[in-house]
Amino acid sequence: IEGRKKTYGDREGPDAMYVKLISSVGHKVIVKREYAVTSITIKAMLSDPGQFAENEINEVGFREISSQVLSKVLRIYFTYKVHYTNSPTEILRFATAPQIAPELLMTVNFLDC
Amino acid sequence: MEAGEEPLLLAELKPGRPHQFDWKSSCETWSVAFSPDGSWFAWSQGHCIVKLIPWPLEEQFIPKGFEAKSRSSKNETKGRGSPKEKTLDCGQIVWGLAFSPWPSPPSRRLWARHHPQVPDVSCLVLATGLNDGQIKIWEVQTGLLLLNLSGHQDVVRDLSFTPSGSLILVSASRDKTLRIWDLNKHGKQIQVLSGHLQWVYCCSISPDCSMLCSAAGEKSVFLWSMRSYTLIRKLEGHQSSVVSCDFSPDSALLVTASYDTNVIMWDPYTGERLRSLHHTQVDPAMDDSDVHISSLRSVCFSPEGLYLATVADDRLLRIWALELKTPIAFAPMTNGLCCTFFPHGGVIATGTRDGHVQFWTAPRVLSSLKHLCRKALRSFLTTYQVLALPIPKKMKEFLTYRTF
Repeated sequence: IEGRKKTYGDREGPDAMYVKLISSVGHKVIVKREYAVTSITIKAMLSDPGQFAENEINEVGFREISSQVLSKVLRIYFTYKVHYTNSPTEILRFATAPQIAPELLMTVNFLDC
Repeated sequence: MEAGEEPLLLAELKPGRPHQFDWKSSCETWSVAFSPDGSWFAWSQGHCIVKLIPWPLEEQFIPKGFEAKSRSSKNETKGRGSPKEKTLDCGQIVWGLAFSPWPSPPSRRLWARHHPQVPDVSCLVLATGLNDGQIKIWEVQTGLLLLNLSGHQDVVRDLSFTPSGSLILVSASRDKTLRIWDLNKHGKQIQVLSGHLQWVYCCSISPDCSMLCSAAGEKSVFLWSMRSYTLIRKLEGHQSSVVSCDFSPDSALLVTASYDTNVIMWDPYTGERLRSLHHTQVDPAMDDSDVHISSLRSVCFSPEGLYLATVADDRLLRIWALELKTPIAFAPMTNGLCCTFFPHGGVIATGTRDGHVQFWTAPRVLSSLKHLCRKALRSFLTTYQVLALPIPKKMKEFLTYRTF
């Protein structure tokens, strides 16, 4: 645990650079805070002053979101959004596989991103 | 440029004028087109000439100080002339243009096996619609004339290839018909679609290749099935000739533009009118007699499906965000006739009556993941299939573009 703390940097307190998102089966995804707040809902959850104790790690659990959607899709989309916002380069197409689109749509509607 | 900024003029191309010409009739740029893969641009510059130029443009065309919004091309070397630029002399005034997508691999192999001696159409081709009803098919890479399709009795005003690459071509003509041609069978005419009462101005095939839209002078818009080539429905609502139509990239929306100053957005599966975009005078000081000059000439969707560009007679290019009722940006252009987006976004090309084309910066869009999901789903779900899904009502309204 000590080693992991050094690798991922500061995950504690309200100004933590990284946050932990937890899927329905307990799978944990660590994402830069700057990326995670692409979701308006996550941003609101993280900025709620009553949410975290001073030394608590910033993590949010989603009982309805599957690991696949959480780790594969959201992390990729957050990275895509942060990378191309305020960047003058041409935006490459972001393809969404139609098979997961229905589940993804419900999740994305909830997360507002 | 973010949404809300005015489009910047990137470059302007002018036709060469080697000989005497008739100003009035020959100089209109009735059509501009990008190839579906974004590697070529074609424009009918008048005097019966079509210019084919590789994209991105040579650096000399782009004003200094502007960072070109183009993919880095390995082909761009200093001092290169324009060896790939092609000039197609069509022999008559050119009215319609359409690029084929690259044909799908099975048809290419099939063609080579069965037609060793006949011109190979398994390459990028450009179809040109001419004044007397002929359609000429050109090979883009070489500029060679491949086929001559005869059948129409009057101007071929618009052309559309099926986006699947099956080399089926649809043409729309002032002879009030649309015709279906199979380029795999040496340009054989496989169907004539009759029903329109006046000039057919435009045709467009939905990206999922299931529907064909045609619009004509008698104010109606027809939707045809691309599987059975029969009429599905007529869309009534415009008050004057309908001159331009386009489907959204996921085939879920259809927009039509008319001389009645309106663009109407339809659900092509149900025939419902979703909204009307009014092209009113920007300067309210103008008196009513100028209202008629807001006639629409062209409308097109942006590649991610969130914006529209329109060209109208009141000397403005307008950019609209789908969910808003007023345009988000304007650019001045005189005698504009046509517009089209670059397939990968970022640029809009417009053509004007004097034979010039202009390239404008288009709003730079980062689709929300919500819209990307909607686009993925609507690419294969009809409106009725969406309504049958076990999802909340608000989600259905979002998916069917009733809300944004």
